[in-house]
Amino acid sequence: MEEEEEEARPLLAGGPDEAGREAPAAPRALPALCDPSRLAHRLLVLLLMCFLGFGSYFCYDNPAALQTQVKRDMQVNTTKFMLLYAWYSWPNVVLCFFGGFLIDRVFGIRWGTIIFSCFVCIGQVIFALGGIFNAFWLMEFGRFVFGIGGESLAVAQNTYAVSWFKGKELNLVFGLQLSMARIGSTVNMNLMGWLYSKIEASLGSAGPTTLGVTLMIGGITCILSLICALALAYLDQRAERILHKEQGKTGEVIKLTDVKDFSLPLWLIFIICVCYYVAVFPFIGLGKVFFTEKFGFSSQAASAINSIVYVISAPMSPIFGLLVDKTGKNIIWVLCAVVTTLVSHMMLAFTMWNPWIAMCLLGLSYSLLACALWPMVAFVVPEHQLGTAYGFMQSIQNLGLAIISIIAGMILDTRGYLFLEVFFIACVSLSLLSVVLLYLVNRARGGNLNYSARQREEIKLSHTE
Amino acid sequence: MCGCGQGYWGWGHRAPSPMLLLSLLLSAAPFGLLGEETRQVSLEVIPGWLGNPQNLLHIRAVGTNSTLHYVWSSLGPPAVVLVATNTPHSTLSVNWSRLLSPEPDGGLMVLPKDSIQFSSALVFTRLLEFDGTNMSNTAADPPGKPYPPYSLAEFSWNNITDSLDPATLSATFQGRPIHDPTRAFANGSLAFRVQAFSRSGRPAQPPRLLHTADTCQLEVALVGASPQGNCSLFGLEVATLGQGPDCPSIQEQHSIDDEYAPAIFQLDQLLWSSLPPGFMQWRPVAYSQKQGGRESALPCHASPLHPTLTYPIPQSPIVRAFFGPQNNFCAFNLTFGASTGPGYWDQHYLSWSMLVGVGPPPMDALSPLVLGIMAVALGAPGLILLGGGLVLLLRHKQYSEYQSIN
Repeated sequence: MEEEEEEARPLLAGGPDEAGREAPAAPRALPALCDPSRLAHRLLVLLLMCFLGFGSYFCYDNPAALQTQVKRDMQVNTTKFMLLYAWYSWPNVVLCFFGGFLIDRVFGIRWGTIIFSCFVCIGQVIFALGGIFNAFWLMEFGRFVFGIGGESLAVAQNTYAVSWFKGKELNLVFGLQLSMARIGSTVNMNLMGWLYSKIEASLGSAGPTTLGVTLMIGGITCILSLICALALAYLDQRAERILHKEQGKTGEVIKLTDVKDFSLPLWLIFIICVCYYVAVFPFIGLGKVFFTEKFGFSSQAASAINSIVYVISAPMSPIFGLLVDKTGKNIIWVLCAVVTTLVSHMMLAFTMWNPWIAMCLLGLSYSLLACALWPMVAFVVPEHQLGTAYGFMQSIQNLGLAIISIIAGMILDTRGYLFLEVFFIACVSLSLLSVVLLYLVNRARGGNLNYSARQREEIKLSHTE
Repeated sequence: MCGCGQGYWGWGHRAPSPMLLLSLLLSAAPFGLLGEETRQVSLEVIPGWLGNPQNLLHIRAVGTNSTLHYVWSSLGPPAVVLVATNTPHSTLSVNWSRLLSPEPDGGLMVLPKDSIQFSSALVFTRLLEFDGTNMSNTAADPPGKPYPPYSLAEFSWNNITDSLDPATLSATFQGRPIHDPTRAFANGSLAFRVQAFSRSGRPAQPPRLLHTADTCQLEVALVGASPQGNCSLFGLEVATLGQGPDCPSIQEQHSIDDEYAPAIFQLDQLLWSSLPPGFMQWRPVAYSQKQGGRESALPCHASPLHPTLTYPIPQSPIVRAFFGPQNNFCAFNLTFGASTGPGYWDQHYLSWSMLVGVGPPPMDALSPLVLGIMAVALGAPGLILLGGGLVLLLRHKQYSEYQSIN
């Protein structure tokens, strides 16, 4: 209790500001806006939740948006450039297990969110200072600090969502949060290059300082997110006082010993996840130059096409979520997504066709996969192990991303983009292999992974009877 | 998918026309002089006249029923005369007194004359330098304010006998200006490294152009010369013989394959459209470091060929000696680098490679490693699905049989 009173004090200052900002837009709704039990108030909270993740997603892909500039100004090759992504992933290999624990037991959701937001801000500032001081190691360190905050902040964001919207509009909220994250990435891809050129014009020359200043300005989004974290903490605490609702918990219980009980289907899901995501995120990280060199795109067009995956994912995630919810048959949807990704990578590798086609396909399949794959974990793991399973999945995903980012950079430097694409195709194909195996194992064991929505409904009913 | 292995060449806007491809195929077949797998290659420095060493390098590549002659020389500007004959016994004859005279016509001959199937020449006339600052368009010609160019005819060259290496079939012409008032080349030089090959292969150094026994590689390296400005871009003026009233054209081939030159998806070539054809081929990339990698890659831009009637270009005695008095030369400029990114100014180093040869230009194919990975990557999931499906089907059958008994 003492702890919570403490956190209220600094927060009170930020709170009325937030409410005041919203008020003029809808003056009549003011009572509803301030009443935590009303929808209008929840929508305000939703808005804050969405912007809470905006900063970290905006800054995550800063290196991709400024690939040529970073490599030129800092004089690094692609391998070293990709270390910026690897350093983000390293802390999360471990933190995925502890993020939930830290939120539940150590900080509480409110302080947890604020602390993680601070890490994100500080990380971005260090990253930018690395540019200003022309020290690449400082940039790497900045990404490390940024990584400590980044993923855990996403966990906190989800916990807030569950705590405010459970049994109400939860799936929609998750979808909207994801959309907001993608919008953050998209804005970054299309804005940072332009921002860099403006700063270059005003400073008179390109160089590490220009890069650093650009990144520092990009860091403003992180400050915005931190403000959202403070406002949310205030509103959450206020709601607790008024509604006597409990502080949100991730409810994650991580027991590493559970790992030995993981079933074969779960391991296959892990493999699908890792092999799929390593063929998407590192590709986007390296994509901009690919589109300029192979397809002769201008820098702006390359940024636009490189962000199309996120653009598509923003509106499609909720739609696909609904589709998978209504139809079931998760494995078939995952299979479709993986095959489509394979096709799109093959189009990028072996044809000169307009890459917009391939990238739109990639965007669609990426959104579909996220909606069909992640819920499958809940079908194959008993509820008390769910936290461990998701933690583990994120952890090895980060491990995969860290390692593959470095390998991808090395392949690009020595063997070029065609070979890199072939490597990604091999990764996706390994993922496809696992999906096929998962389907077969599920069929052979009579598992529940591929039930249609109606079958699931019937089973639920028979259980309750 | 399997179709991807072939037919991926020549997509893009400047792909060779079907007619040209057809003529290449037709021309390659009957002459039998092209596409020989291996050749006996010998490098010989033709001894000078009256004991004066002259840089005249004769590369003779003998196949089963053809001979290619590459004559490289730094008499006048560096130049090469390439001649293809349809006999393994053709020889080069040099008449030094005529070659060194003001009218060297007939000083260089390949005998027997009626065995000659193809002949052409390249002359590297000038080293250009531009001011690359405030350059808005890299493709512009010239790319910036030009500095006074260096005429390569007024360079002094080393004795190539010293650099002749029979093991690698290579020799290097290294030169610096005879008159160097600004002492720009005090610690620098311009080198033309010529290499021949007895079989097809690929060098370890980027841009790793695929060579065959029918080709000869030239690597031009500018090392240590002081640039005239802080942001100097260098260029090379290349002249060749025109064909009738027209100049040969430069084709830009776009490819999907950048395995050997990372992030370079283009191959440029100048084609002499005769029967058989001849070619000069290069990737539009130069390197600003000796161990050329992606971080030191500079773009290389080629201007279109234009007739040189409007201004005189330095004459090459060997070209005149072989072809007689000609005035239908065509020239083009290669420019290396852009105002941003790596440049000559980094390490005072610039290197660029090209192939020159007879017959259809070598074409890259997907490497066996790529094809192998693709086969496994696409085959494995398919096989598992097929096998697993069969097993499930069989089990299902058994299962339903048991059920029917019950």
